[in-house]
Amino acid sequence: MSATIETNDLPDGGDVSWRRYPRLYGRLGLFTLVRELSFRGNFLVKMSVEILWLGIMLAFYETVFARTNLVAGWAKQDYLFFVGCYFALNGVIETLFLENCNEFSNLVRTGDLDFLLLKPIDEQFLITCRRVDWSVAPNVLMGLGVMLMALWNKGWDFDLLRVVLFVMTFACGVAISYAFMLVLTSFSVWLVRNQSLMEMWWLFSSLARFPREIFQRGWAVSLDVVFTYILPILLVVNVPSRVMVKVLEPRMIGFIAIVTVVSLALSRKFFQRALRSYRSASS
Amino acid sequence: MAPIIEVTGLSKTYRVFRKKDGLKGAVQGLFKREYKMVEAVGDVSFTIEPGEFVAFLGPNGAGKTTTLKMLSGLIYPSRGDARVLGYTPWERKDAFRRQFSLVMGQKNQLWWDLPAADSFELHKEIYGIPERQFRETLDELTSLLGVGDLTRQAVRELSLGERMKMELIAALLHRPKVLLLDEPTIGLDVVAQVAIQKCLRDYHKRHNVTVLLTSHYMRDIEALCRRVLVITHGKLVYDGELAGIRETFGQEKILKIEFPADHPPPDLSPYGTVHGVEGPTVELRVDRPRVAETLSGVLSRYAIVDVSVQDPPLEQLITKVFEQGKATV
Amino acid sequence: MSYAAEPPRFDLNDPAPAPAGEDLVPGSVWRKYYRVWRVSLAERMTYRGDFLLGTFLRFLPMITTILLWQAIYDGSGQSSLAGFTYNQMIAYLLLVHISRMFSSMPGLAAGIAREIRDGTLKKYLIQPLDLLGYLISYRAAHKMTYIVTAAVPYGIIFFLCRGFFDTLPSGPVFLAYLASLILAFLIGFYFEAAVGMVGFWFLEVTSVLYIVMTLNYFISGQMLPLDLLPPFWVGVLKAMPFQYMAYFPAVVFLGKVQGPDLAWGLAIEAFWAIFFAVLARVLYSRGLRRYGAYGG
Repeated sequence: MSATIETNDLPDGGDVSWRRYPRLYGRLGLFTLVRELSFRGNFLVKMSVEILWLGIMLAFYETVFARTNLVAGWAKQDYLFFVGCYFALNGVIETLFLENCNEFSNLVRTGDLDFLLLKPIDEQFLITCRRVDWSVAPNVLMGLGVMLMALWNKGWDFDLLRVVLFVMTFACGVAISYAFMLVLTSFSVWLVRNQSLMEMWWLFSSLARFPREIFQRGWAVSLDVVFTYILPILLVVNVPSRVMVKVLEPRMIGFIAIVTVVSLALSRKFFQRALRSYRSASS
Repeated sequence: MAPIIEVTGLSKTYRVFRKKDGLKGAVQGLFKREYKMVEAVGDVSFTIEPGEFVAFLGPNGAGKTTTLKMLSGLIYPSRGDARVLGYTPWERKDAFRRQFSLVMGQKNQLWWDLPAADSFELHKEIYGIPERQFRETLDELTSLLGVGDLTRQAVRELSLGERMKMELIAALLHRPKVLLLDEPTIGLDVVAQVAIQKCLRDYHKRHNVTVLLTSHYMRDIEALCRRVLVITHGKLVYDGELAGIRETFGQEKILKIEFPADHPPPDLSPYGTVHGVEGPTVELRVDRPRVAETLSGVLSRYAIVDVSVQDPPLEQLITKVFEQGKATV
Repeated sequence: MSYAAEPPRFDLNDPAPAPAGEDLVPGSVWRKYYRVWRVSLAERMTYRGDFLLGTFLRFLPMITTILLWQAIYDGSGQSSLAGFTYNQMIAYLLLVHISRMFSSMPGLAAGIAREIRDGTLKKYLIQPLDLLGYLISYRAAHKMTYIVTAAVPYGIIFFLCRGFFDTLPSGPVFLAYLASLILAFLIGFYFEAAVGMVGFWFLEVTSVLYIVMTLNYFISGQMLPLDLLPPFWVGVLKAMPFQYMAYFPAVVFLGKVQGPDLAWGLAIEAFWAIFFAVLARVLYSRGLRRYGAYGG
């Protein structure tokens, strides 16, 4: 038989190491930004809608706290921080990943997924990071603003440890959300239409929207257990928020770190399984 | 020299689910689905040497695309083996993927709403193309295809022909050793077709890339390849020189002669095989060498409204190839 | 998509029907209903994984809503907020879904705006066809289809949540409720149709629509009963037509609007329906004339 025609040694200057990825991502971000800004009107409209949404969320929050001081054990400013954290985290996910995952089912349906599979680069990276949706990016800043406002109103004293732990657990929350989204996206390979998947995502993320305490009574306790320890979507906003404004719980911090690693690994495996299935069924 | 592509007994069979019509069928479909097995590619074997320009010929649905996709590693075969550049394609090693390209007609690999130039930059990163080589190749290709000033336009704004040219550039930027093309000129106007054919020919001569081209247009094949593999119903039925097919099987020409509509057309059977009569038009099959004398005979005897001389459709040629049994492989 | 109990960018209550503007022969519109109904049903069932999944997924948000408001009421220490007990609050939030089932018109304005942009609206200049008439029959038929297919999952939800309904409306109140739902359908339709008609003058009306419908989510009372807001805002929002798309039918059912208030409320609702119907028609004929003048 024949020997492999190896060209691992590329001519001078070529780089196929891991360093490609951040460079590639940088370029992708830049190109998509330039493109979006050229459609300025559309960009502004999308931003206005997001601002409106934050406004509505805050209106809801204000209305509720006008009549009560405590919701599920969260005081007014703490709850405000929670809202800001949720908004920022959702902003990160929507900016970086949502559009790409939505696109995946179209790629499967049209068969254009094939072209992404041909590229000598990790498919998960290519598929989930292809586009950056810059019009939602301001959400992250707005969420940050709300969080800062909540801390200010609270008269919070700067605590470096808290900030570091918050950033870390926030990143974990993003990672876990990403893992969930990846699993749902993978289902596109088997299910024809995309609509239900996005509904599923929205509903999952709706669970993450509220403090965990609302589940900790009566019949809902089973839900609390399921969505904290089995499908840990409840950790995503709760843990970072608690880290910042409530008593530090080392157990939870350790737990979310483990969950992050496990969920990223499992979701990647599942995604690759889906791709394999796509490839054996495709024509 | 070792062959660059080796295929042995490659096969691919699918399960196709049957969709029943109507409301009742849809409800049944909620609970149970019937399926049947379809063999898209059956026991195909061939080898290709480096630098060859080979055509894959066959009617629609013959299995050409499926074979190409298996050689690209996009599909797992059901049986059989293939080696491209020494790699097993469906293992999809990065080193393998860096050395070949697949281009599919009417399909778009480039980022849709970015200018082609941006897509090329991204390609450069993905394939790890050194800057100097990137610039050289890009210049060479844009001038070969004449699209230098279009690269800054968003891909979605380009015409189909221009888009295919960009696709081709993207496919060749990383100087692949193997180029797989699936119906690259389908749906394009003649000018674009010729431009792409010319580019392929020039590039092939210059860089000695191995090319596997599928098409059901004889024109593409004739312009570019000498060796032809014919596939029908998933089976390889001919592997040899292009000239061989034409000589052996393309002996007849079709004459479509339209007579004035006032009375039924005359009987042309003395001149050749009458293949069909439709209204005032008679379709006559005549051996190639006798076309001129047949035409002059008919024209001198009858008044004619219109006449056309055509090659028999490719499908018919292929069917004949198939009927006459397999040629050597 | 990032808010407390909000609607997603697509409308969960009503997947978008096919765009308007198919061949219309006025006489056969009724026959079309039947065909539309059959096709919609079959279409839903073809994507089998989708259908079952989507049905199940409607339950989830209500669970968190129920739990959240439980926490809110507990924290407040009161049994009633702005005249709503906990049970009434949950019942209200469930009923709002029904109101929206009638009043939401996904893709209506966008479809009209698109037809204006494409130029396919031209045929209404030459043929004796009425776009509004066609659209409203199409939407009515589609709504009926949708209500039938959604009947089972909604039925299950409401049965499971029957504990939140302390009282059911009496006969006449129930009739008034049905009337309010039908009027909500009309207001929803003609409002969005009117917005779509603005497309004759401003091509980018869909962007404005997006913003309006986002705002509508809150001001129509889908997130919480309008009575919870500060008195000034309650006054403002109740004077606007949007409350009829969600809030009003729900509170009618709950018996919070009685006697003369109920009659008066229905009358104003009818007024708004007529107002938007007239507005839509005026904009349509003016727009069509302008359209013809510019050659499309």
